[in-house]
Parts: sequence; structure tokens; C-alpha cells
Amino acid sequence: MTVIDLARPRPPRGRVALARLGGGLAVLIPIVAISSFITYSLGALSNSNPAATILGQDAATPAAVARLDQSLGLNRPLIVQYWDWLTQAAQGNLGRSYFTQIPVAQSIAQRLPVDLSIALLAVLLAALIGGTAGTLAAVRRGGWIDRAVTMACSAASTLPAFVVGIILVVLFSMTAHLLPANGYVGPSTSVPQWLAHIILPALALALAVSADVARQLRTSLVSVLEQNYIVGAQVRGLPYRRILFRHALRNASGPALTILGNDFPLMLAGAVAAEAVFSLPGLGQLLLESAQTRDIPVVQGVLLVVSCFVIVVNLIVNTALNWLYRTGDGVGT
Amino acid sequence: MSRAGRPVWRLPSVWIAMGILAVVAFVTVFGSALAPQNPLTVNANALFQGPSAHHLLGTDYLGRDVLSRLMAGTRLSVLTALEAVGIGLILGTIPGVATVFLGRWFDFLANRFTDALMTLPYIFFAVAVTAALGNGLVQAMVPVGILLAPFFFRITRAATLEHARTQYVEAAELIGASKRHIIRVHVVRKVLPTIAVTTASMTAAALLAVSFLTFLGIGVQPPAPTWGGVLSSDLAYLAQDPWAPFIPGALIAITVGALNALADAFRDRSGSGRLAPVTALTPPVKTHSTLEPADDERRSQSVA
Repeated sequence: MTVIDLARPRPPRGRVALARLGGGLAVLIPIVAISSFITYSLGALSNSNPAATILGQDAATPAAVARLDQSLGLNRPLIVQYWDWLTQAAQGNLGRSYFTQIPVAQSIAQRLPVDLSIALLAVLLAALIGGTAGTLAAVRRGGWIDRAVTMACSAASTLPAFVVGIILVVLFSMTAHLLPANGYVGPSTSVPQWLAHIILPALALALAVSADVARQLRTSLVSVLEQNYIVGAQVRGLPYRRILFRHALRNASGPALTILGNDFPLMLAGAVAAEAVFSLPGLGQLLLESAQTRDIPVVQGVLLVVSCFVIVVNLIVNTALNWLYRTGDGVGT
Repeated sequence: MSRAGRPVWRLPSVWIAMGILAVVAFVTVFGSALAPQNPLTVNANALFQGPSAHHLLGTDYLGRDVLSRLMAGTRLSVLTALEAVGIGLILGTIPGVATVFLGRWFDFLANRFTDALMTLPYIFFAVAVTAALGNGLVQAMVPVGILLAPFFFRITRAATLEHARTQYVEAAELIGASKRHIIRVHVVRKVLPTIAVTTASMTAAALLAVSFLTFLGIGVQPPAPTWGGVLSSDLAYLAQDPWAPFIPGALIAITVGALNALADAFRDRSGSGRLAPVTALTPPVKTHSTLEPADDERRSQSVA
């Protein structure tokens, strides 16, 4: 709890949210610029000669390399190349792969849905599992459910997503043969198949986050349930269910939602772990493949898209959460 | 809490965690020398064996001794994790202390910058760096370290802010102590326990990052063993030996768990008032300090 400044009138909530959004955007642009420049210069830093890599060892005569450098624009100053790349990227053109000649934007657009569906489902599962467990633990605090939830949370937050993923594969695919261990089917082909393929990866990602959510929700719900207005509601004879859902949970959910919101962009990164375990054709696989072959345009494109995506989503989530729980005092902080 | 009264080193969880970490540290130093067998020796007659007297943790798909591979792989995993933590520690804590004393603008910019950095997923940057600089764990962990820095920054800043406003700092100012002296003696020393706790939990995060990167095959020169590498090769042969991944998985989880338990124990202790006062319950008395810490506690809290 912060010290509540009673003397100063609080500015209207809309303005606060706008100012925050504005401040976020003002920093966003330089951040994107810096991180994209780092991204871009990573390619230049590599002492590998792209033209020679493309041509292969035999064909890489100095003349051929020079010609290819010319056509790829690799002989210009770095800052000029960067500016070109960035202005092109802003228009959705991320260049072409050195090797396959497929536009980078196209391969990214092809693979992004895989990670997005895993990340979204994981957030849903985390909210569901963590919310239920946290509420149960808080309502029955001190009881065996509470202790079981606390222990399960410690265990779950220690296990990294890729280990959880492997455990899930062993349990559900190798032993019980219930769900497929790998592969991906798009939702346009078959929705049940799509769900069957992404539920285990999403669960692997969701477990650690739901542990955080459960722990946070338990803490704040316990402190809300001890507040006078809850006792007041009980005294007035309101049903417990209603008190719990309408009075307590609504006020206690702030910190847990913040965790969930902040973790959503990280889920996208976690999806890489899930991809690796379940061999799904996502962004992470694209990045790993192109890193191995040093296909720099693809690496740069993936990095730019991911960082922009993560920064923007984070800004939106933060603004939304701050608007929802704008007061800054009370349990919601 | 009943354990609040006991000194932290008496807690059983701390004992166990310290024991585990001591073993890991020992294996880090002597692991490759103590490994019972050569971790690279292939034995075609002993594929996928379960634990036995000869192979305590069984053998892998090439008949190599799993225990020896894990022991030999410990050094690279632990040292590169420490590399990332070191980078994060230096890049995070120094600006974290400094920002409180450098004025509002610097503080505002530094905070927004860390907000943005915190959201970036390390894994993508680590992979990109290996694409540019060659496949090695040492270079892959540099971006991990840089992206750990915001966590150090935030916690250090919060702790510094809290101590910079206390009455004893004000008293020291009144006696005429220099700013440098105050920061060094009255602020940094008080912030050190917080930094230590953060270092423990960040080491856990860095170890996870190393195992994940090696699991993905980053920074692994194939025959050489790493924790994540053992795990990923086990994954490829799940059909033959579905329980094999549990050994490296448990090793990673136990080490990470020990670090987290240690950090939690110390955090609980400092929360109970021995190492640092609890700000949440007793807001520091704001009087008339000339060391003006930037006053946007509220903003930073609500972002966190």
C-alpha cells in the first residue's frame, strides 16, 4: 500500500490512462529503434560474408561475391542499409531469405498463428487453473487444499516449460496415448484436431504462470476476505457465493491479472520451448533454422516482429490494467 | 509465521538448499575429473540401460554413462549462468543505485527503458546472437545477461529509494557527510542484502536459460555434454526409454529449486524486519532531505 495523498486531487482517470499511453508510446519509438538497430547490426557484426555463404564455397570467386554484394546492397554503409531495411519493414517488407528466396514476412505470417494460438490458450488455461486453485486455497485457507495448492505451486514454478512439456508427452502421449505428441493442424482444417495438438504445449506453458497466479490470488484474496466490508456483507446475510464472486474476487483479482497480462508476451517466447518439445512449425523453429544457416534477413525479421509485438502488447496490457485498477491504493496495487 | 523468529541459517529449507548448491558447486569445479566414466565413450552393447551398479543413472542412446555426462556438463552450464548473472548484476545495480540520485529525468528515462527491456524475450536474442557470432554458449549468454539487468535495476532502485529517505541518511547529511560517503555507507550497504537475494533468484533464471538454450542445441558442440543437451537427446528417444528425460529434468529442477528456496528464505527474513524495514507497513518518514530522490514511487509500483 502506498501513502495515499489526500491533499492532492486525483486527475480524472481517462487523462491518467492517456498520459500513460502517451508516455509509453514516446519511449516505445526509441526502444523499437534501438532494438531494431541492434537486431540489424547483429547481421553486420557476423564476420560471415553473406554473399559467399549464398554462393557456396566453390562459386564464391571475388568477382561473383562483389556482384552479389552489389545486387543485395551489402556494399553500402551500415546506417544506410539499416534505414532502408527499417523503412521497408514499416511497409511490411522484411526482405527475402538468402537461400529460399521466400519473403521473410510471408514465412513469419505463416508461423505466427502457431505461437499465438499456443500463447492465447496458455493464458486462458493459466487463468482457469490458477484462478480456481488460488480461490480454493484462499477460501479454505489453512486447510489441506491450501497446503496442497501451495506445494503444487512451488513444484510447478521450479519446473521449466520444456521439462513440463516432456513430462506431459510421457504421460499423455507415450503412456496414455490420449493426445498427439507432435505436429500441428491449423484451425481452418479441423478445430478439434487443432485443439488436440495445441492443448499439451499450452498446458506446458501455462503451469508455471498458473502457479504465480494462484499464489498471488491467494494472498490478495485472503487479505480482501478479512476486510470489514466482507464481514459487513456476511452480516447483512448475503449468500457466500455472491460475496466471494462479486465483492471479494473482483477486488482481489488485480495483482493476479497483472501477472497474467505481463506474462502474455512472455508466453510467446515460451512458445518456443513448446515448439521444440512438440516439434511445432512456429517462429522459434524458423529462427533456429535460420540461425543455423546464418540466414540473416530471416533472423532480423523474426527478431523485429517479435520485439515489436511484445512491446506493443505489453503497452496495451499495462494501459488496460492501469485503467481497470486505476486507484493506486487499496488492495488492487 | 512461526519461523520468523529463527535465524535464517537455522531453517531446514536453507540447510537443504545450501547442501544442494554446495554439491553443484563442487561438481562444477571437479565434475569432469570425478566423473566415474568417460562421458564420451560410446558403448554399443549398453544402449538405453536403466540405473545399475555400473551405470548409476543408466546409459543413453549411444550407451554413454548418463551420470558422467551430467557431471561433466555441469561446469559449462553453471559458469555460463554465472556469466549472465554477472553481466546483469553490473548493468543493473549500478544504474539502480545511481538513478535515485541523478534526478527525475534520468530516472524517468531509465524506468521506461527498463520497462521495455523487461518485455523482450531473451531466447530470441540469444539465438540471433549465435546466428551472428557463431554457435557458442558464451556469446549466447551475453544477451541473456543484458535482459536480466532490468530486474536487478528495478529491485535495486526500489531498495535504494527506501533507504535514501530514512532519517539516518538525513542525520548523516546534517553531520556533514558527503554524498559519496552517504551513498556508499548508508545506502549501498543496506541495499546489498536485497541484491544478494535477487542474485540468487536471477541465477536460477539464468540456469534455466542455459538449460533451455542447450536444450535447443544452442552453444552445444555435439559430443560435449550439457544439461539441456542430455535432455534433448533423451527426448528424441522417448519411444525407447520414456523415463530418461526425468533425470536431467530433475537435476535442473532441483538446482533451480534450491536457488529459489534460498532466495525465498532470505526474502522472508528480510521481510520480517531484520535485514531491512518493511516499507509497505511503515512508510518512511519524509522530512527535509537535500538528497532528493525522484518522487515517482507510485508510477513505478503500478507498472510493476
